[in-house]
Amino acid sequence: MKPPPLLLGAALLFWGWQSEFLIVGAVLAVGLEAARWTRARWEFSDEDFSRFWTFCSLMFLAALVYAFTANDGPSSFGSFFQNPNLATQRSAGTSSSRTASAILRWVPIIFFPFIAAQIYSTRDKIPLAAISLIMRRRRNQARLLGQPVLPDPGFHAGYPYFAACLLAASVHAAEDHSFFWGLCALLAWALWAQRSRRFAVVVWALALLAAITVGFAGQRSISQLQRYLEHINPQWFARFMRRGFGFDPMQSRTALGSVGELKTSGEIIIRLEPKGGSPPPTYLRQASYRQYRTPIWFAGGSLDDFTFVPESPPNSFIWPLLPEKTNTAGVNIASYLSGRRGLLPLPHGSGRLEQLNVIELKKNLTGAVLASGPGLAVFDAFYGPGATIDSPPELDTDLSVPDREIPVLDQVIDDLNLRGQSLAQTLLTLNGFFGDQFTYSTWQGAVRIQNTNDTPLGRFLTQTRSGHCEYFATATVLLLRRLEIPARYAVGFAVHESSGDNYVVRLRDAHAWTLVWDETRQIWTDFDTTPASWIQEESKNPTPWRWLSDAWSRVKFEVAKFRWGQSRVRQYLVWVLVPVLALLLYQIIVRSSRRRRREKPLEDEANFTWPGLDSEFYLLEKRLAARGVPRAAGEPLSSWLERVADVPVLADLRASLHELLRLHYRYRFDPLGLSAAERATLSAEAKACLERLAQAERTPVTTAK
Amino acid sequence: MTTITPAAARAIYQRIADNIARIMQGQSAATRKLLAALASGGHVLLEDFPGTGKTTLAKALARSLDAKFKRVQFTPDLLPSDILGVSIFNQRDQRFFFHEGPVFTNILLADEINRASPRTQSALLEAMGEGQVSVDGERRDLDSLFFVIATQNPVEFRGTYPLPEAQMDRFAMQFTLGYVQPAEEVAILSAQQHNHPLEQLTSCASLADVLALKRAAEDVRISEELKRYVVELVAATRTTTGVQLGASPRASLALMKAAQALALFDGLDFVTPEQVQELAVPVIAHRLVMEPQARFSGLTTQGVVEDVVKKTKVPA
Repeated sequence: MKPPPLLLGAALLFWGWQSEFLIVGAVLAVGLEAARWTRARWEFSDEDFSRFWTFCSLMFLAALVYAFTANDGPSSFGSFFQNPNLATQRSAGTSSSRTASAILRWVPIIFFPFIAAQIYSTRDKIPLAAISLIMRRRRNQARLLGQPVLPDPGFHAGYPYFAACLLAASVHAAEDHSFFWGLCALLAWALWAQRSRRFAVVVWALALLAAITVGFAGQRSISQLQRYLEHINPQWFARFMRRGFGFDPMQSRTALGSVGELKTSGEIIIRLEPKGGSPPPTYLRQASYRQYRTPIWFAGGSLDDFTFVPESPPNSFIWPLLPEKTNTAGVNIASYLSGRRGLLPLPHGSGRLEQLNVIELKKNLTGAVLASGPGLAVFDAFYGPGATIDSPPELDTDLSVPDREIPVLDQVIDDLNLRGQSLAQTLLTLNGFFGDQFTYSTWQGAVRIQNTNDTPLGRFLTQTRSGHCEYFATATVLLLRRLEIPARYAVGFAVHESSGDNYVVRLRDAHAWTLVWDETRQIWTDFDTTPASWIQEESKNPTPWRWLSDAWSRVKFEVAKFRWGQSRVRQYLVWVLVPVLALLLYQIIVRSSRRRRREKPLEDEANFTWPGLDSEFYLLEKRLAARGVPRAAGEPLSSWLERVADVPVLADLRASLHELLRLHYRYRFDPLGLSAAERATLSAEAKACLERLAQAERTPVTTAK
Repeated sequence: MTTITPAAARAIYQRIADNIARIMQGQSAATRKLLAALASGGHVLLEDFPGTGKTTLAKALARSLDAKFKRVQFTPDLLPSDILGVSIFNQRDQRFFFHEGPVFTNILLADEINRASPRTQSALLEAMGEGQVSVDGERRDLDSLFFVIATQNPVEFRGTYPLPEAQMDRFAMQFTLGYVQPAEEVAILSAQQHNHPLEQLTSCASLADVLALKRAAEDVRISEELKRYVVELVAATRTTTGVQLGASPRASLALMKAAQALALFDGLDFVTPEQVQELAVPVIAHRLVMEPQARFSGLTTQGVVEDVVKKTKVPA
C-alpha cells in the first residue's frame, strides 16, 4: 500500500514542527516529495535494499549508543548495579527514558535513506527478506535444500515510515494540544485513502469522529490522573531529586566508629600524565574541613561561600587560581564529574588550570574547586610549593577540638611530651608515634564500651591503635590543634600507581590527611601520618579479573573523552564516516544506474524493433489528439476512433478511418505484414484523411464521451 | 486432420453461434466467449445466479455439435471414480475390466461443480490439463476434443466447496451470463410456452468441423509485440496492490489462444489488441486471489484486471 500523495511530506513537516527540527523536516519532506516532479528512478535490487537497511540499522545502533551515553546511561546503570537503591534506580530509569526519547526523535532522520530508496526506486514493494535476517536465512536454506521457496509478499515502506514520523513527533516539548489535532488530521488523511468503499463517507466520518473523541477524552484523563498522583505526595518526587558532587565540599562523614570491613573499589577514576618530566603529585586534594563533630567533618560555611574563578583571558580555557604564583610543575589530570558537576582533584599548591573546558569554576576558602561542565574534565594543573588557595587559619575554627576528645588527646600529648616542641619536632614525633605504634587496617572489630566518655578516636589512640586513614588524619588534626597549631582535615586521593608513563588513581586510593599551618612560612602544608603500609594493605589480594576491570575502565574513559569532546576522535569520525558513506552510496546508486544502462539497450531494442512504427496512421492520430480527443494509454485504436467519429464534422471520415485502421493493424500486428501495394495504399489513404481533416478543422470539436 | 480456410472456419463458428442463439436469447457475447474457449482448447466455468441459463447454454452447445456429451451433477457424495471410471472384476474372463466414467466424452457438463468435495473436483485436474486420466496406474487418453463446461452458483455457500486455486487455473475462462433484457425474456417465455426448444435443436457441426476450427484458430498469427502485451497484462496482476496471488503463465497462454480464436471469429488472420482486451477479464480474473483486506474494502478480481487493462499501455 502506497501512501497518498504528499502525506509523507506532511508527516515529516509535522514531526519537524513538534520536535523542533523544522528545517530538517522541511528538507526531508522536499527530498521525498520531489520524487513526484522528477523522473529520476533507480533500479535497486533486493541486495541494494538490504544494504540500505543495514546502513540505517547501523545508524540506529550508533545513535542508540550516543543517546545512551549522552544521557548518563553508563554511569546511571553502573551506579544502579553497584548500589541498587531507589535513587540509583530512578536515575537509571530517567536515563533510559531520556535515551528512548532522544532516539525516537531521530528515527525519521535515521531511516530517511531507506524510505528515499523506496520512493526513488522503480519497484513498488521491498522484499521482506531485505529487512529480515530470519526470513533471508530461511529462504537461503530452502534454496540449498532444494525445497520450494515461498513467494516474498514484499511491502511498501511508506506507511511504516509515516507511523515512525508520528511516533517521533510524539516526543514534543509543546504542552498544548497541537500534537493531538495534528495527529488526528494526518491519521484521517491516511485513513481516507484506505477507507472501505462499502460504507458511505458519512459513516466513515462519524466513526473517525468517535475515535477522535475517545482518544481526546483518554489522553485528558491520563493527564489528570498523572496530576492527581503528583499532588498526593510531592515529597515522593522531591526525595529523588538530590544529586551529589562525589566528595561534599561542606561536610565529610567519616567511618570513625563504624564496625566491619571498609569497602573499597579498584575502579580507575582519575588518570594523570606528569608534564615536562616532573614527578607526579603525591596527593590530589578535593576538599578540606575545619570542624569535627563525631563522626563528621564540616567545612564550616555554606555553598554560598564559593566564589567564581574568572576564565582569563576569556574563552582561553585558562583558569588562574592564584594569578601571582610561580608554578614549578605541571600535570595533566582527567577526572569524571559525576552529574556534570564536581570537585576537581588538584595537587597541593595549584596556581593555574589550563585546557579546562568547563562552563564555570568556583573555589571556596578551604581549597575546594567546584567545576560545572561536561561529565569528564581533562585539564593541565600547574602547581608548586608555597601559597595555596586555602584561607589563612581562623583560630576559633582551625583550633577547635570537641570537648569529649580533649582528655585522650591530652593524655597522648603528655605521653609524647609534645608541649613546648617546635613545629618540625612535633611533626616528626607524631610521625614516629603513628608509624611505630599504629597499624593500618580497614577492619574495625566490635569493642566493649567502658565508659560514657569513650569515643572512637579515643579507642583508636589508646586501645586499638589500628585504623584507616580517617582515624590517623582526624587524630593528627586534633592533636595538632590541642598543641595550638592550626590544622585541617583534607580529603582526596593518593597518587602512587603508575601505568606506563602515566599514573592512575583508583577509588580505593581515596585518602584523608592533614593540612598543617606553618606559621613561619605562612602556608599550609600536607602532613600524612597514615603508615605507608596502607597502600600495600589496600592493594593486597587483587582480584584475578582486575585486568578486565582496568580494560573496561579504559574503554569507559575513552568513550567519555569522545562523548565530552575531550578527544579529536569525534572530528576524525566525521572524516571517516564521509568516505564510508560515499562508498556505500556509490555502490548502491551508481552501480544500479550502471545496471540500468546495461539493461536499457535491450528494452530500447525491444521497443523500437516492432514493425509498422513508421505507419502514417500515427500522423493522423497525432492530429486528432491535438483537436481535443487524446487517446488513453490503455485504449485501443478502434474504441478511440469510435469516440473520434462521434464528432459530427468527422462523421464522414468514419468509414475511411476504419479502413485505414484495418490496414494499419495489418501493418503493425500481422507478422506477414503488408505487400508493397498495400503499404502504398496505407500511406496514400492516411494522407488523404489528413487533408480532409485539415478541411474540417475550421469546425471546433466537442468530445462525446 | 483436415485444414480449412479461415473463411470456412468462420462459417463453422457462425453456424454454431446461430444455432445456439435460437435457444439462448440475448447471450451472443457469452456464446462468443464459450466458442472461443472451445476453439482454443480451453475449458469454461460459468458462474451465475440460478435460472440464468448456464446449463441450457452448455446443453445447447452440446446439441449443436455432433459429438459425445455427458453431464455430471456434482453432489457432496460424488467420488472421483464416479467421474473417471472404475475397474470391475469380470468373473467370466477372470480379469479386470475398466468401466469408463463420464469424463470419456467430447463435451462434459460438470453441473454445480462446487457441490462436490475438493477430492472429487481434483479428479478433473489431469483430464482438463493434459487430456488424459490415470486410473489404477494406467494412463488413458481422452478424445481429441475434450471440453469441460462447469457451472457454479455464487450465492450458495452452505454445502459447497470453493474450487481450489489449481483447479481454477485449469479453466481457460470464467464468465457470467447475466439477466437478459425484458424483451428477450418475453421471447424466452413465448418460445417455451409449449415445450423447450432445446428438444428440437439439431446438430449443425460435426466433430471434424470443431477440430478443424481448433486447427484454424491455432494458425491465426500473433505478433511478438502482442505476445509481450499479453505477458505484461498478466504480469501486472502479480504486482498489483491487494492481490495475494497473481495470474500464472498458464493465463498468458490461455489469453493468447483465446484471442487467436476470437480473431478467427472476427474474420481476421492475425490478432489485434482489441481481442486481447476483450478476453482479459474472463481469462485472468478468476485466477487471482485477493488479500482479505482488499476484498473487504470492495476490491474485486474483475476490477483489478479492468484496472490493469486500463493502465497498461496498449500497442497501437
